Amino acid sequence: MEFKDYYKTLDVSRDATAEEIKKSFRRLARKYHPDVSKETDAESKMKEINEAYAVLSDLEKRAAYDQLGQGGFQPGSDFQPPPGWDSGFEFSGRGFDGAQAADFSDFFAQLFGGKIGPGARHAHHRMRGEDHHAKIMLELEDSYHGATRGLTLRMPKLDNQGRTVLAEHTLNVRIPKGVHAGQVIRLAGQGGPGHAGAAAGDLFLEVHFNPHNRYRIENKDVYATLPIAPWEAALGAMVKIPVPDGVVEVRVPENSQSGRKLRLKGRGIPAATPGDLYLVLEVVLPPAATEKAREFYQTMAQELAFNPRQNLGV
Amino acid sequence: MPHEIDAVLLEDALFSLDELARSCHVSREWVIERVQWGLLLNDGATGTDPDVWLFDSRSFVRVKRIIMIERNFEGNPELAGLVADLIEEIDSLRARLKASGLDAD
Repeated sequence: MEFKDYYKTLDVSRDATAEEIKKSFRRLARKYHPDVSKETDAESKMKEINEAYAVLSDLEKRAAYDQLGQGGFQPGSDFQPPPGWDSGFEFSGRGFDGAQAADFSDFFAQLFGGKIGPGARHAHHRMRGEDHHAKIMLELEDSYHGATRGLTLRMPKLDNQGRTVLAEHTLNVRIPKGVHAGQVIRLAGQGGPGHAGAAAGDLFLEVHFNPHNRYRIENKDVYATLPIAPWEAALGAMVKIPVPDGVVEVRVPENSQSGRKLRLKGRGIPAATPGDLYLVLEVVLPPAATEKAREFYQTMAQELAFNPRQNLGV
Repeated sequence: MPHEIDAVLLEDALFSLDELARSCHVSREWVIERVQWGLLLNDGATGTDPDVWLFDSRSFVRVKRIIMIERNFEGNPELAGLVADLIEEIDSLRARLKASGLDAD
């Protein structure tokens, strides 16, 4: 386990005042806010910042952590807390909660893990486990067909000394068909463990989709580009196209232009009220690569007398 | 062999007020106040019995956003609600951009 330098994470000196720590935390919380940050690792950064702030904003935890730091541990160096390192300190658990703490590092769990959450102080009471919240990335196809996805979770559990440690376990999750972005799925009993025989909490996962090379998703509607030849656009045609749930044959109306949308009702995400699938037409010109092709274009130019810039007044 | 478990859509088992509050580590009163101030659910909920309120995925994500903004910035609830509105608006515009084949970045 690595020793973590919380002062470095919050970009403050060791003698920073509570006010300086708060200011720096807010500046970083703004910079790495997962909803707006352009940084690629915003989410993991935010977890580190929250963890550092949970310790440094709490007088008791900060004092205990500082005392530990005097042992000469370097950031990144292998670390085991000395026995009884926290004697004389009482942790009240302010400033963060159990759901957040589930995101925190092994380092944090080892130091403060046995002292977090309502269960720590009332372990003799029956108390339901904490709910945990996270995100899951799915593929569009998962939504059309349903899927079973492997998920590795870090679950706090009590070790022999009664301390909370983080243990990894893998489970296979059956994702229901019709799930769409922004929805939340619930995994019963996969949150924090219950206390004194009470039920475990649940795990809630906010659904996001990986970008797809052919389909684009907006809520329950799915968009795809349908390339067509100029004569198919002009004369109309029946064309075949693969869609997420198979292959369909669609009628391109005559006199279609690029950008026209064909709606396949109910062929979007198969939710309770299914979304629609939109095929956006894109007229693709055959290249004038051969003499014959050039002749065709020249004949069109002469015969059709077509000026696409007519409305521009030139 | 890993354990298999069914994921249930929140839409198929909506949150009650108590479930939402417990899951997000806030009090019932915290949620009730924000519904009455028009920051959660729709205006139709104001003045109705809180024990019949139901919260879907969107409310759940929104509550978590508001908690994070209020907590991290000691923001007042209305300001947190406004920020959440803006984030939701940006999300939906980004989704539309992407659906039109344009990248948001």
